[in-house]
This record gives sequence, structure tokens and C-alpha cells, in this order.
Amino acid sequence: MSRKLTVVLFAMLVLTGAMGLKAVVTAHGNGSAALSANGVPIPTPF
Amino acid sequence: MLGPADWVIWFLATLFEALVVVCSLHRNAFRRYFFLNLYMLFSVLVSVGQFRVLIHYGRSSLEYRYFYFYSQALLVISLYFALISLYSLVFRELKVEQYVRFGAVLLLAGTAWFSYAAVNQSSSRMVTHFAFELSQNLYFVGLVLTYVLWGAILKLRETRALLVQVVLSLGVYFSAHAASYAISNLRPDLFFRMGYLLPVIGCLLPLAWAYAIWRVPEEARIEPARLAVAHR
Repeated sequence: MSRKLTVVLFAMLVLTGAMGLKAVVTAHGNGSAALSANGVPIPTPF
Repeated sequence: MLGPADWVIWFLATLFEALVVVCSLHRNAFRRYFFLNLYMLFSVLVSVGQFRVLIHYGRSSLEYRYFYFYSQALLVISLYFALISLYSLVFRELKVEQYVRFGAVLLLAGTAWFSYAAVNQSSSRMVTHFAFELSQNLYFVGLVLTYVLWGAILKLRETRALLVQVVLSLGVYFSAHAASYAISNLRPDLFFRMGYLLPVIGCLLPLAWAYAIWRVPEEARIEPARLAVAHR
């Protein structure tokens, strides 16, 4: 049981850290920048 | 309109992705690194599909936009599972596979819920915005997970050279993606000047994996823990 709770806590920490990092990165923008991961051309936004 | 450099980078990225699968098959490592190969196979298929849609409908068409955003979401989810499979490999001796799987599903569900909450206010094209938001959020989750995995590798004194190289190249890839994302938001003018940086790094990830699978034997060992030792 405690191991499962540890996993839940870990998942929440990772999610919080990742979203916090994203919030810091997009603090001065609207976060709508599209990035291509594998060299594929980025389409024009909607 | 795409320039010659765009086509070359796109072609090389697809070639290197296919090379990973070929190297894995040649070294009998396809099943051992199944999710890494699955991601690379998806990448090749998505590249071919995007090429066809781009040629038929054009870059500014709705078809290409929809195909692009949904396929990117699919690719990032498969990359996420590839990363989780690396967790399973690192923690295999601790016999905690079921907890890794449970945590992975929980984290993916949490990220999906967070993404849905972010786009909930948008009434038009909500599913497309959700796919876009989910893929961007998963990149940041992947970045944090990769750094945590690297910490675990150092802590557990993992010595498998191939695994270490795969994780390190993934860390560089996620870091570059996060840096590009930051620059695109903070300094859009600067981002457009360095437009080829992220696609080139996108090429380097499959190249690094192909090189590692091709050249580094499975039994090769390295001591990454030494890298963390501070000499006084």
C-alpha cells in the first residue's frame, strides 16, 4: 500500500514539476508555439 | 514553401529513424528495446503520411494541420512509453515493474486531465487543441522523467553503456526541445533565426540511438556514477 502511495506521490510531483516548468517557460508568451519534433514542417496555426 | 534544407533535414530524420529499427533488427535488440523501436516505426510512418498529405493538400490546408497535430500527439505518447520502458529496464532488478506501469498510467492520465482542463474553455476545435496541449505537456513531463531517470542511474550505479547512452541522448533531446520552446515564447524573433536547430536535434536523437545500438555491445559497461563525483 505504501509503495502505491509513493508512486502516486511521485507521479504528482513529476506532473507538478513539469507543469511548473512549462508555466515558467511560457510566462512571457501565450504558449501557443508549435514545435516540430522530427523535422516535419510546422503547419500554419489555426 | 519548404526550402531544400527543410527537405534534406526531413529526409535525414526519417532515414535515421528507419536506421534505428534496422540496427535493432540486425543486433537482435528489437524486442529488448521494443517501445523505442515502436516510436521510431511510428515516426517513419507519420513522416511518410505527412509527406503525402503535404504534397496533396499543401502546408496551409486544414487536412495537413489536423494530420500534423494528431500525429504529433500520437508520436509523443509513444515516446512517453519508450521512456517508461527505459524505467522498466533500469528498475528491472528491483522487481517493481507493476509500480512503474501503475505510475506511468497515472501520470499519463494526470497529464491528459491537466491538458483537458487547460483547453476546456475553448469551444471550437477543442479536440485538436487538446491534442496539441497534451503533446506539449508530455514533452515537459518527459523532460522531468528523463532527469529523474538519470538521477536513478547515478544512484543505482547502473553500468549498462547502451542504456546510459540512450537515456543521455533522450535527455539532450528533451532539454533542447524545452529550450526551443522557451526561446519561441520569450524571444520569437531569435527563434525564427535559429529555425533549423530543433529539426537538426530531432535528427540527432535517432542517429544517437542507431549509433548506440549498432556500435555499443549489450555487455559493454560504463561507470556514470563517476561523472557525479566532485573532486576536491
